[in-house]
Amino acid sequence: MQISLDLITGVLSFLFTLLILSYLIGDNPLFRIAIYLFVGITAGYVASVIWWQVLTPRLFSPTIPALFAGSMIERVIIIVPWLGAVFILMKISPRLSKIASITMAFLVGAGAAVIIAGALIGTIIPQVSATINFFDLNVAIARNINVAEVIGNGTIVLVGVVTTLSYFHFGARPQANGNPRRFVLIELFAFIGKIFIGITLGVIFAGVYAAALTAFIERISSLINFFGNF
Amino acid sequence: MIFAQSENILAQPPSRGGQDDDVPSWLAGLQNESAPEKDELMDWARDVSEPQQPLKEEPPVFTPSQEDTPDWLKQMSAEAESKSQQVSSQPASDSQFDADTPDWLKQMSANAEPVEAKTPQDAPELNIDTPDWLSTLGGADDNTSSVEPAVFTESNVPEREAESLPPMDMPDWLKSSSEVEEEKPSQDTTTPLWLKPQVQSQEPELPAWLSSAEETVYPDQTKEEPAAQDDLLGDVPDWLKAAAPEKTIFDSQDELKSEVDASGGTDWFSAIQPSGETEVESNIEPEKVDPFASMPAFTPESQTDESLEGLFTEMPDWLSSASEQPSTSTPTPITNEDVLPSSNLPSWVEAMRPSDSGFSQLTSSASDQTLESRGALAGLHGVLPAVPGFTPTSKPKAYSLKLNASAEQLRHAGILEDILSAETSPVPIESFSTLLSSRALRWTLSFLMLAVVFSTVFLRTQIFSMPIGRPSEVSSVIQIAQSIPENAQLLVAFDYEPARAGEMEAAATPLFDNLLLLKHPRLTFISTNETGSVLAERFISGPLAVHNYQSGVTYSNLGYLPGGQLAIRAFAQNPSVISPFDILGQAAWTSPTLQGVTSLNQFTAMILITDNADAARVWVEQTQGLRGDIPFIVISSAQAAPMIQPYYDSGQVTGIVPGLYGGAIFEQHNAGRPGTARNYWDAYSIGMLIAMALLLSGGLWNLILGLREKREEK
Repeated sequence: MQISLDLITGVLSFLFTLLILSYLIGDNPLFRIAIYLFVGITAGYVASVIWWQVLTPRLFSPTIPALFAGSMIERVIIIVPWLGAVFILMKISPRLSKIASITMAFLVGAGAAVIIAGALIGTIIPQVSATINFFDLNVAIARNINVAEVIGNGTIVLVGVVTTLSYFHFGARPQANGNPRRFVLIELFAFIGKIFIGITLGVIFAGVYAAALTAFIERISSLINFFGNF
Repeated sequence: MIFAQSENILAQPPSRGGQDDDVPSWLAGLQNESAPEKDELMDWARDVSEPQQPLKEEPPVFTPSQEDTPDWLKQMSAEAESKSQQVSSQPASDSQFDADTPDWLKQMSANAEPVEAKTPQDAPELNIDTPDWLSTLGGADDNTSSVEPAVFTESNVPEREAESLPPMDMPDWLKSSSEVEEEKPSQDTTTPLWLKPQVQSQEPELPAWLSSAEETVYPDQTKEEPAAQDDLLGDVPDWLKAAAPEKTIFDSQDELKSEVDASGGTDWFSAIQPSGETEVESNIEPEKVDPFASMPAFTPESQTDESLEGLFTEMPDWLSSASEQPSTSTPTPITNEDVLPSSNLPSWVEAMRPSDSGFSQLTSSASDQTLESRGALAGLHGVLPAVPGFTPTSKPKAYSLKLNASAEQLRHAGILEDILSAETSPVPIESFSTLLSSRALRWTLSFLMLAVVFSTVFLRTQIFSMPIGRPSEVSSVIQIAQSIPENAQLLVAFDYEPARAGEMEAAATPLFDNLLLLKHPRLTFISTNETGSVLAERFISGPLAVHNYQSGVTYSNLGYLPGGQLAIRAFAQNPSVISPFDILGQAAWTSPTLQGVTSLNQFTAMILITDNADAARVWVEQTQGLRGDIPFIVISSAQAAPMIQPYYDSGQVTGIVPGLYGGAIFEQHNAGRPGTARNYWDAYSIGMLIAMALLLSGGLWNLILGLREKREEK
């Protein structure tokens, strides 16, 4: 009898699904076995991925051709990663660990620059512009949105953004009894902003629940399909 | 071993042989102490004998020169010449050394004649290094050797070594003493062996060496030749110098002289100067060759516990007499001259000085007779005398510690005290009981969810209708899908975890099924997640398997893109350089999938499948401005859709497919293909209803409980 690969994967999938679902009755050894196996398999898989998809094709393979047959730019491009890798490996030695700070400084500096620039160009400025242009009817018409929806959505978004930002305004003045108190208008906006924040958290919770529920349904469905095929 | 001798000294009966009355026991002990210490004497004997080695080789022609002769010998030689005629019975062998030998040494050497008869022929040659009185001791030992055998044995001193030494390296007295010890066992156990021969061989009243010294005129030497006396004192060991004046601490100089005259004092005894001259002597001492200098009174090996006990419990006669003498006589005023400098006393003598006898008498003149009972000065009287008149005459005045505070001050102090106590008093932290789900509730909910989902999926019920409305973000996706040209090149980024595969595949399958079915696009997969490439393979070979897409032909999997945001930015700028190969190691950008594509904006559209809002934000931010006008569709999880919605509102994202809901909408647009959303929709809807019901019922239950508690409180 020839055992198909689908059967093996189906059995394993069924088995580990049961192990994971056993967490519904609480933490137990079966669940832990599944978790440990998952961690170990993931670690091994990630290591193989890094070897076959990162180190070999991007570092090891191009080195010799670049050094002996490449141009000066290619040589520099291939030497720089090698230097960075060697410097990072210096962290093994406590004496030479400071050399790794060169590579780390490059990574931190370049990463910070990319993140800040990306956030500024890709999130802050476009989001501020979008909030301002919510009442732009031309934009709405271009996106096939009717006027009432534009006004309604724009109003909610504008009020929600303003009141939520007011909630995070913590400036206050001391009163006669010594207790600090925010400005009355800010206090009102903050109260409304608190409602929007609560709604947002509720939406996120609903999204998390919906995602988890979908995953649960998919697992049950896969089990049923597995047994249905036999 | 040597210390045992000193113990014997202390244990020696005071009236032994009747000679202890005349000779202090400590002196006798000191004289005899040289005999058992022959091993240590060998050191100085070697030192002294070595430079005179030629003399030993040629004894007949030996003439002591001024350079070879020690100072003390030189000084004594002058005296010896003047008195050489008085000595009539001098042996012929010693005649050539008469010039270098002091009188008292010569006189003592007369008693050493019997020893010479027994000693080897070359032994007299060593007499030049050995004082005659020491040689005399050896003779005395010989005389008494037949009477009293030596009981005491030298445990640590190797006798064999001493015997093995050549006789010419050993002084006569040492040889004689060693022979005596070998030959005669001692019968008297109370007397030290080294003392017995001497004691019994001496005259009844005086020792031989002392009696032979009667001919010397002590007063003349002290008056006329003080330098010679210094020299003579230089021959005396340090500890002997320090010990000898002990006798004269409480006596005047006249008493000392009379006592010396009565006991027939010897030259060395007359050399004992008043304490005021001890400093002069100490300055001269280092220049002299003292054969006893290298001879310690005790050796560490002999310092056993028993000997130490005996040392401190049994005092010698001279010490006991010294301690008793001041009690009977009027104490003399203590001056610095009377007190021996501690540097002149050997350590063992200092250790023997009784704390309650010697110093108490020395300090008897002090008015304060308080006996120190503890501490380092225990046993001493008046060592810390109080200054007269220093004692307080009246009790110190008692001052009241009570504050004279007014009522206002006391009130303020009370306020301050209350403030401080309020600061330090613990404040109970307001805590509310955590709502913990009971095991029964958890099992009940688990069973309920499992039963509902299993039943609906297994029965494939279609109770709930699919969503009817089309949100704008989904409508945008539909429009894009319809506008994509056939055989277009699409970039698909897989950035979700395997755990979300069920949801993400359910949301993405209708769109891709529609595209693959109608447009036959060429797909390029990439992922910033390590598992993204595998998920892409699973996706294309699972839900989309019916389309039979081939790697390298209709799709390319570029695999894992390491580097996070930096890599995404670099990939957006120059994708062919950053990811030149697919997961099979083939050149991806020359394959049919990516032909003609060199930059990001050359793709027809860009689709991101993610379950993380941050991943969507990164892709949006880093590809901003580089992707051009190509549509950017995000297929997101339900949990990330609310966070991505603002990017759609801002126009940065062209369309969103939010989770199963978005998939269900697009599936309706796709004629119900593949039907995955439909299969999940009833279970999803029931699950959402159950969650809503549980949350609502739980909230209401808590509200009721709260109202009831408030009512009970009222």
